[in-house]
Amino acid sequence: MALDIRRFFSTTLLGGYGLLVLGLPLAGLGYALLGSLGLAGPLAAGFTPRYWLALGANAGLLYSALFSTWVALVSVGVSVALALSLVLRAQPTLRRWPLPGLLYVPLLLPALVLAFCLFQLLSGAGWLARLSYGLEWIGSPADFPELVQDSAGLGIILAQVLLTFPFLTLLLQAIYQESRLDELRQLSSTLGASAGQFRGRVAVPLLLRRAAPTLLLNFIATLGAYDVPLLLGRPHPQMLSVFVATRQQFDLRELPMGYLAGFLVALGLLALIGILIKLTRRHAL
Amino acid sequence: MHSRLLIGLLMLLFGLPFGLLGLLALAQGWHFPQALPPAYSLAALRTLGAADSELLAGLGRSLLLAGTVALLATAGGFGVARAVARSRWSRQWEAASYLPYALPPVLLATLVQPFIIRLQLSGSGGGVVLGLLLVALPFATLLLRSFWSVQAREYEQLARTLGCSARQAFGRVLLPLAWPLLRTTLFQTFLLAWFDFGLTNVLSVGKVRTLTVQVFSYVGEANTALAAVASLLLVLPPALLLGLNRTALWRRPG
Repeated sequence: MALDIRRFFSTTLLGGYGLLVLGLPLAGLGYALLGSLGLAGPLAAGFTPRYWLALGANAGLLYSALFSTWVALVSVGVSVALALSLVLRAQPTLRRWPLPGLLYVPLLLPALVLAFCLFQLLSGAGWLARLSYGLEWIGSPADFPELVQDSAGLGIILAQVLLTFPFLTLLLQAIYQESRLDELRQLSSTLGASAGQFRGRVAVPLLLRRAAPTLLLNFIATLGAYDVPLLLGRPHPQMLSVFVATRQQFDLRELPMGYLAGFLVALGLLALIGILIKLTRRHAL
Repeated sequence: MHSRLLIGLLMLLFGLPFGLLGLLALAQGWHFPQALPPAYSLAALRTLGAADSELLAGLGRSLLLAGTVALLATAGGFGVARAVARSRWSRQWEAASYLPYALPPVLLATLVQPFIIRLQLSGSGGGVVLGLLLVALPFATLLLRSFWSVQAREYEQLARTLGCSARQAFGRVLLPLAWPLLRTTLFQTFLLAWFDFGLTNVLSVGKVRTLTVQVFSYVGEANTALAAVASLLLVLPPALLLGLNRTALWRRPG
């Protein structure tokens, strides 16, 4: 009897959980698809393919996807390079006070706050521009190079790198110690390998393979970043989350297009995750 | 030498945002091209002491929301993780728990928004809590899944064999054993909700003015002093948590 009650409780709990984490997002995805076809939402007036057909004429979503991919690739790439160089070239410093504690400090900053700080630091009238003016390197705010709200997304990339690389350094350092790479380094040196050969052929592949799932999650998180690009990005091109949210929030006439963009981005991200998970599993240690 | 240079450089890099926030919170009439504020004032900080302080209300709102989400997600996640561990489809449930991660929080919010509106929760704290739980509950479940191993079941069975009731085995054996992981989950889910801006802003249509929403709103109004004070308030709880427990800030489910 008690076992039956426990099983019933477990089943109900899992049912409710499934409804929340699977049911609600999938229902949202279905609603977005119906909304993009004119079958749901406040502007629903019967089936119409015109929003899908309009995608061909409007390259906004494609630009957004390309821009987001560029930002995510560069941000994660630079963060990984920085973290790897710290872990592989500054091992003694990484184990000594104050560096281990210092690397936790950026984790205290919400993305929005870091974006606000970078805006105050790097904008045309920001602190660096004021220092440059004081040193007579520039004559007006307009002379200062565009580092935020720029077309290449430099400000967004910088913010994402500052948020990501300390975390990745802590992660790679933990893997370095767990995998006893110091002992492997001594072994490879005894067998005649140079320090560069150890780094390139042993340490880097091992660290990257073990960190692959987290790197993948980081890439996806950067691809869908919202807070940082909202403050440090420009209206065109927008990153994907900003593109979708703006179309659903401000203009009711853009709502079906917003549904379509949300549906396609969600589907695209799910497909991308599926492919990347398969790849990381295939190449896992 | 290289080591000191590296430490100095990182200290400068990581310390700069905090120093800048402090200056912005205290500065008065600080305009281009002045490199440092011409005068300092506690006016922005004093707004915290005012009876109708919007910032203080935002701090309370953020603490209440993040605290509620952390408690619900941790307690719910503990139960769900146990059910997942004992389910025949354990691996499938774990895979399903990653779905909310696959989608950026803002995208998730835009997808579920029509249902939040139907439930008449749009623009309310309840809608925001539900939206945040959509991310925090699976996160807690994945984090706590590692506790419900064969060993935990054996401990429970041992306690029952020795005469404990099911409730006693849970309260006196399993809960103390799980406490370190539960504490980490509580911290992490609190931070997840505390740091959130996009999901809260979309689901509440800007009506639930948490601290992150206020930072964005003050930045939009070019009120840098209040934006800086709100930002400093946002940094406080994570700094306290860092002092208490480092793993609270960076442990990830895996």
